[in-house]
Amino acid sequence: MAENAVQRETVLSLRETIARIENRRLPGVVKAVKAADPAGFRRKEEGSQTSGRKVLPLGIPELDDILEGGLPLEGMTEIRNSETRDAGAAAGFATALSALCQQARRQTGDVGAPVLWISQSLASTEAGLPYGLGLKAYGLDIRSLILSLPRTVKDALWIAETALSVPVFCAVILEIRGNPASLALSESRRLHVRARAGRIPLLLLRQSGHEEASSAFFRLHIEPAPARERPLPDGSMLCGSIGHPVFHVIAEKSRSPAPVGLFLEWNPHDRRFYPVEPLPAAAAADPEPAHSIARLSASSGRPGGADTLGHLLAFPRAS
Amino acid sequence: MRLVALDGLAEKLGFQLGQGVAEARAMCPDVDVLPADRAADRALLEGLADWCSRYTPLVALDGESGLYLDITGCAHLLGGEKSLLDDLLARLFHLGIEARAAISSSAGLSWAVARFGSQSVIAPEEAARVLAPLPMAALRLATDTIETLGRVGLKQVGDIIEAPRAPLARRFGSTLLLRLDQAMGLEDEPLSPRLAVASLSAERRLSEPVQGEDDILGLTQELAARLKPELEKRGEGGRLFELLLFRVDGRVFRITAGTSSPLIEPGRIAGLFRERLQAVHEDLDAGFGFEILRLSVPKSEKYEVMQEDFSGTPDRQRPLAAFADRVMARLGAESLFLPVLSQSHVPERAAVFQPLADVEMLKTVEEAASAVPANLLVASVRPQRLFQSPEPVEAVAEVPEGPPRSFRWRRSLHRIARAEGPERIAAEWWVDGEKAAERDYFRVEDERGRRFWLFREGHYGGPTQPRWFMHGVFA
Repeated sequence: MAENAVQRETVLSLRETIARIENRRLPGVVKAVKAADPAGFRRKEEGSQTSGRKVLPLGIPELDDILEGGLPLEGMTEIRNSETRDAGAAAGFATALSALCQQARRQTGDVGAPVLWISQSLASTEAGLPYGLGLKAYGLDIRSLILSLPRTVKDALWIAETALSVPVFCAVILEIRGNPASLALSESRRLHVRARAGRIPLLLLRQSGHEEASSAFFRLHIEPAPARERPLPDGSMLCGSIGHPVFHVIAEKSRSPAPVGLFLEWNPHDRRFYPVEPLPAAAAADPEPAHSIARLSASSGRPGGADTLGHLLAFPRAS
Repeated sequence: MRLVALDGLAEKLGFQLGQGVAEARAMCPDVDVLPADRAADRALLEGLADWCSRYTPLVALDGESGLYLDITGCAHLLGGEKSLLDDLLARLFHLGIEARAAISSSAGLSWAVARFGSQSVIAPEEAARVLAPLPMAALRLATDTIETLGRVGLKQVGDIIEAPRAPLARRFGSTLLLRLDQAMGLEDEPLSPRLAVASLSAERRLSEPVQGEDDILGLTQELAARLKPELEKRGEGGRLFELLLFRVDGRVFRITAGTSSPLIEPGRIAGLFRERLQAVHEDLDAGFGFEILRLSVPKSEKYEVMQEDFSGTPDRQRPLAAFADRVMARLGAESLFLPVLSQSHVPERAAVFQPLADVEMLKTVEEAASAVPANLLVASVRPQRLFQSPEPVEAVAEVPEGPPRSFRWRRSLHRIARAEGPERIAAEWWVDGEKAAERDYFRVEDERGRRFWLFREGHYGGPTQPRWFMHGVFA
């Protein structure tokens, strides 16, 4: 009997450790057992246990559900897009989140906390540099924006780590292109821990990268979606115009996944997201190939024309 | 091919400067001739000048083979002029360099005695006596002047010291008398030191050389702590710090670290050098260790002493400056940028990024932004990302001046669902010239919902065919 109890205690403590690593609230059963600790002391109040994570609610129930309450204000969130030409959408989503962080800071009376945007130079040359006027029109306070363009991924990681140890930034955006080997699981774990220790939201913006295991709380896949039309003062829509940006957000890593994804519109003036219904055209848009012409032989050694794997059998080695 | 420099043995064998190499080989068949490398000679001389800064901060180069050291006020640190000179010559001898030196009250006299004389330390009143037996070349004169003087029998400096000055000046020009006066110490001769003298510096000489990075940083922090009281007394903080590391074999490493705001705390100064040492890690070869470390402050600024308060609002400026300093110490001055808006309609000029040099700039950006008229800031439609240089695309438009129907960018075809525009932006003739083409910007959305900023340069029916470019990406 006693042996049993010891085993149970071990299992419970292990579970608790795992839950702590995963930032998950303890399941009710476990907690009830822990609360009735035979030793007679209580660890913490129930309330403080549940509100352990600082979050920024985004005002949309579905999105907040996915993010378990809102954007984590301490720790890493990954934002990913699959193609370079979608980089604008992902960058826009990250900018919107950092604008929200700025706004939240301002409401607490902390005006002018800077946003640091670290963009590895490969990423910014491929997808364009952040543009001051555009970001300003987008709702970000560019007076407190600092941009860094490190040459290598290693330098970018170092800058991010340094920034996370300084408690001044209200958000740090780290933009990396692809899935470099120098940003693997252990590095992302390191960044995540730093961000949690520094109490700074870190947005890892992975440009045209694949899904990869990382230590981020959540990974969101961002795709562009057709925008609404511009509203006119009388309530009607201006036909053929392009309104506020719309994103298609798919949660790839979350405890409550929504496989269909959400369509969100960012309103720069109100500085908030609004849920929108997908346009029928967008829903019906078939994933047509980017190359409309019939494919001839794929050029070797160049991106863009590579066939899917498994089409050809490998030739026997010549040597 | 001629001989430009000789060593002691070659001089003994009777070679002369300017002699042909073939002739020298005829005189001595197994002579070693090395091709002259002026750049390497210069580098050696500059390295020696750095090394000589262990005696005085004022070191000036003299032509290709000499150094002037202004030791005013430094000699007593090494126990007097004579022992300074002996120390210098002994150390140079051990470095394998044959050197001659003289100390006197004027640069000209030292030059003359070091090359043609034998005395090492000359008192001011001895100038005429020492100078008299030296040849005319000791006065740093042009070769033809020396020859002309020699032809009339004036071969030694002593011949003209007592001679009447007016006829000499009339016949040989004023340079002769100027050089003579400079050598006699009657005329002042300014030396231009290689490097500006730092306003403050602290030095540590070690009996046992150090090699480890941590040792260097520890000593740097100690030196910075020694500088702190003096900086505080002046009410200044350093904007630029320089660490000189004298390696035992005579090589000197000079590492500078800039800051984005005046800095005084020893811990942070050492922290800056920690990043700098990481950055220059490849080039910094400790060899057998460093024997002298010197930390100097070449540039300083007024330092505002701020009192901590209990209001609880965190002071942002200082940790931000610390962060900026660390990043810039490691990755170079051009690694952090601030967006700056300016009054221009051309998109790539309207918002640019400026390197962050000073944390105070964060405030000035605010002022600059408020100086830009409001109608420029609420520019109708601007992308969130802009390409450094617009990328050419192949676009097909339905009507010549209208928006494109489809375009091919980076080898993939985009069909356009909606388009807004055009927004016409004319080139700035005062920058681009009068012939620069106008641009018609369109904001377009393709069928998948991607939003781009395209422009057409020029018009249809104009002198040149219009071209389409991709300039930015919207969210």
